[in-house]
Amino acid sequence: MRLQIVCAGVGGRGVLLASTILIEAATEAGYKALASDEYGMSQRGGSVMSVIKVGDFASPLVGRESADILLAFEESEFYRNLAFLKRGGVSVINTKLEGLIQDISNLLQERNVACHLVDGDGVAMRRSMIQASNMAILGFFSALSVAPFNLENVQATIRRKVPGKVLQKNLEVFQAGYDLAISSVSSGDGGLSVREALPFGPTITGES
Amino acid sequence: MKEVMIGNFAIARGLVEAGVELAASYPGTPSSEILPGIIEFNRREKLSIHAEWSVNERCAFETAFGAAFSGKKAACIMKQVGLNVAFSPLLRGRSKHIKGAFVIVACDDPGPQSSQTEQDTRLLATMFGITVFDPVSPQEAADLAYYAIQYSIEHHVPVILRSTHRVSHAREAIDLFPPGERRVVLTEGPMLNNGAGFGIVASGMSYSVASDVVYDLGLEKEVSLCKALKVFPLSPEIRVFVAAMEKVLVLEETDSTLEALLDGGDKVLGRISGHVPSEGELNYDVVRGVIGKIAEACGIRSRQFVPDPAVDSALKNLTIPPRPPKLCAGCPHRASFYAMRHAFPEALFPGDIGCYTLGTYQGAVDTCLDMGSGVTLAAGFYDSLNQDGEGRPVIASVGDSTFFHACLEPLYDAVRKHKQFLLIIMDNGTTAMTGMQPTPQSGVRADGAVGKAMPIENVVRGLGVEFLQIVDPYDLHGMIGAVRDAYEYFETKGETPAVIIARRPCILLEKRTGDLISSPVPLEENCVGCKKCLTLFDCPAFFFRESSKKIKIDEGLCTKCGVCLLACALSRPRKGQGQAQKGRTGPQTV
Repeated sequence: MRLQIVCAGVGGRGVLLASTILIEAATEAGYKALASDEYGMSQRGGSVMSVIKVGDFASPLVGRESADILLAFEESEFYRNLAFLKRGGVSVINTKLEGLIQDISNLLQERNVACHLVDGDGVAMRRSMIQASNMAILGFFSALSVAPFNLENVQATIRRKVPGKVLQKNLEVFQAGYDLAISSVSSGDGGLSVREALPFGPTITGES
Repeated sequence: MKEVMIGNFAIARGLVEAGVELAASYPGTPSSEILPGIIEFNRREKLSIHAEWSVNERCAFETAFGAAFSGKKAACIMKQVGLNVAFSPLLRGRSKHIKGAFVIVACDDPGPQSSQTEQDTRLLATMFGITVFDPVSPQEAADLAYYAIQYSIEHHVPVILRSTHRVSHAREAIDLFPPGERRVVLTEGPMLNNGAGFGIVASGMSYSVASDVVYDLGLEKEVSLCKALKVFPLSPEIRVFVAAMEKVLVLEETDSTLEALLDGGDKVLGRISGHVPSEGELNYDVVRGVIGKIAEACGIRSRQFVPDPAVDSALKNLTIPPRPPKLCAGCPHRASFYAMRHAFPEALFPGDIGCYTLGTYQGAVDTCLDMGSGVTLAAGFYDSLNQDGEGRPVIASVGDSTFFHACLEPLYDAVRKHKQFLLIIMDNGTTAMTGMQPTPQSGVRADGAVGKAMPIENVVRGLGVEFLQIVDPYDLHGMIGAVRDAYEYFETKGETPAVIIARRPCILLEKRTGDLISSPVPLEENCVGCKKCLTLFDCPAFFFRESSKKIKIDEGLCTKCGVCLLACALSRPRKGQGQAQKGRTGPQTV
C-alpha cells in the first residue's frame, strides 16, 4: 500500500481538519501514515496545503507528479497544486463550475486524471453550514472507496475529531457529499461535474 | 498505545516521559507547540512539571540552566534565531558540569518559512563542541527527546535536540509509554548497503526524503545510504562509511555541517561543492533532482523523473491569485499603519518581528532586523538624520510581546540619550503570529493560571518616557492626531522618545458583541476607483472589480470594523483634485 494525497485550500476553511481526519482514519485502519502541513505566515486567508502519505514511506513530503489524489477545497488552489498530481490520479474539486477551461480539461484527459467537480460550498450552504464545505468534499471522496478510506471509517473519525456542537451539521454535509457521489455513479453519467439536484432550482446566485 | 500528533507534541511527550521537571520557552515558529504539549501531558499524567513562557529565550535558557544546576531535569525550547538571543549563556554554559539534565530544543526553519534567516543550529553546536541530535521524524524526535535527557545526565553536558519545521509540524502515530518507561530504539550508520560506488549520508528530514527518493527512483539496490543521528560528535561509523565510498552525496539542512565535518575532498558532494542548492529547503523535488543527477553521473540506471511539460503549458495562461501573507481583515495593526503613514508619509519606518512586519505592504515598515531592533534602529536613524541636519520623522513599530522580549533596554537607552523618535507599541494583548500565547501584561501564565499583570504603560513611564498616549487604532483620526501630537512634543519641549500604545485586542481574540458598522460595509458607494486603499489600507476583505471600476467588499472575509471607510475618506482624491497625483503614492497631509 502506497497512497499519497494532497489536500489544498485556503486558511480557515478546514483543510487541516480534513487532513487530520484522513491520517487518523488511515492510522486507525492499521496503516503507517504520515502527514505534513504547509501554511504560510498569515493566520487567515493564505494558501494551505497538507500531504498525507499512507503506507511504507519515510517522509511526509510529496514530489511533482507523484500524488495519487488531489483534494482541492478551493478551485484556485487546485491549479496551484495540480503539478503534484500524477498521471492517472484522481481529483475532487470544490467549485461551482460545470466544467473546467479547455486547456485544463484537455490536460486532465490526456493525463488520464479522473476529475470530479463538486459544489461543496453549495451543499454546505444549503445546510446552513458554509464552514463545513470540507466535509462535503470528504464525503464525496469517501464514496470513491480509495483504500483504506470508506464511508464508515471516515465518518467514525469525524465523530471523534469534530466538536460536539457542530458535529451533527458536519455529519449531514459529509453524508450529502457522499450521496452526491453515489447518485452520480448510479446515474452512470460519470461526468465531470456533480451538483445536487435541487427541488427549487439553484439557490446560489451572486458573484464570486 | 499510539496517538497521532505533530512532531512538537512528540518532543514534548519524550521530555515528559523522561521526567523533565522544568521547561521554559519563548514562542517562535516552528517551536511554539512544544511547551503547550508539555503542559498537556503534565496534566494527563498528573505530574508536577513547572512549565513557563519566559519573556525571552535568554530568560528561558538561564531559568532552565539554573534548574539543571540544582540537579533537576530541565529543558529550554526555542526557534533557531531564539538561540541567538541565548548565545551568551550557551557559550559559557556548554562547559559547565551539569548536575541534573539540560536539554536545549532548537527548531530550525529551512527555507526560511517564517524567520528572518535560515540558520543551522547543528553548525552552531558543532563549532562550539555541543552534543547535537537531528531526528528524522516525529517518532524519532520523541525517542531522542527522551534519550537526550538520559545522555545529559550520564555525560553531565548540555545536549541540543535540533528539529526542523518539517519534523516539528509533521504528524504521525507516536508510541506512548508511562513516564520513565519509554522503549527507545535509535538507529544510526549504514541503512542500505549496496556496494561502494555511490553512497548518501543524510540527517534529519533530508534523510527521510532521501529514503523515499531512493525507492521511488528504483535505486534501493544501487546506492548505499547512511544516516547521521548525532551530528556532533560524529559517530566513527559514518566516517568509515564515507572512507569506503567512491562518491558520497551529503544531504542535510540547513547548512553544510556534515559536509564540512566529513571533509572528504573531491569525492564528497554537497552544498559546498555546489551539487546541492546552497540555500533553501531540501524538498522532495530538490532531493529527487540531485540524487537522479548524481546517480546518472555515476553510471547508475534509475527511473529518472522527467517533468511533463504539458502541465506547465496548460497552467501558463491561468492567473492563479497570489496569496501573499496579509494582516487579517479587521486587524488593528492595519489601522495603526495607515495612521502612521498618513500623518507623516515621508517618515522613516523601522519595524520589528511579528505579524506587524507585514506593515511593509502598507509602506509603514521600511526595514527590520531582529527582535527589538525597531527601537534601536530608530535610535540610529534619528542620530544619523540629526547629524546630517535632516528633520525627517522616525516612526518605529513593535508588538506587545516583542516589546517585553527585547525593547526595554533599547527604550531606556534611547530615553537617556534623548533620541527623538516615535515608538508605536501595537498592543493586541497576545503573541498572535505564533499562536496566541499570553504576554506579560495579561499576567496569564502558560498553564492558564492568573499571575501578576504588568501594564505596558507602567513600564514605559518607568523607563522615563515623558510623552505617552494610549489610543484605539480603530479611531483613525485619534491615532493620526496622536502621531502629530508626538511631533509637536518634539518641536516644543520634548527630549525623550515619544510612545503611543495602539491598544485593541487581536481580531482572532476579540469577543465582539456586535458589528461596529451596519452590514454590509458601504465602501463601494463613494468609491472613485483611485485604488489607494489597496496599498495604503491593504485589507484582504476587499478587491478592485474591473467590471465596475470600483472596490468590492468580500462579505465572507469582512469583519465589519468599518475602518476602511475612514481611510477611504482620508485618502481618496477630493473633488477638483482629479485622479491620483503622479509621482506620489502617499496620502496628502491635511
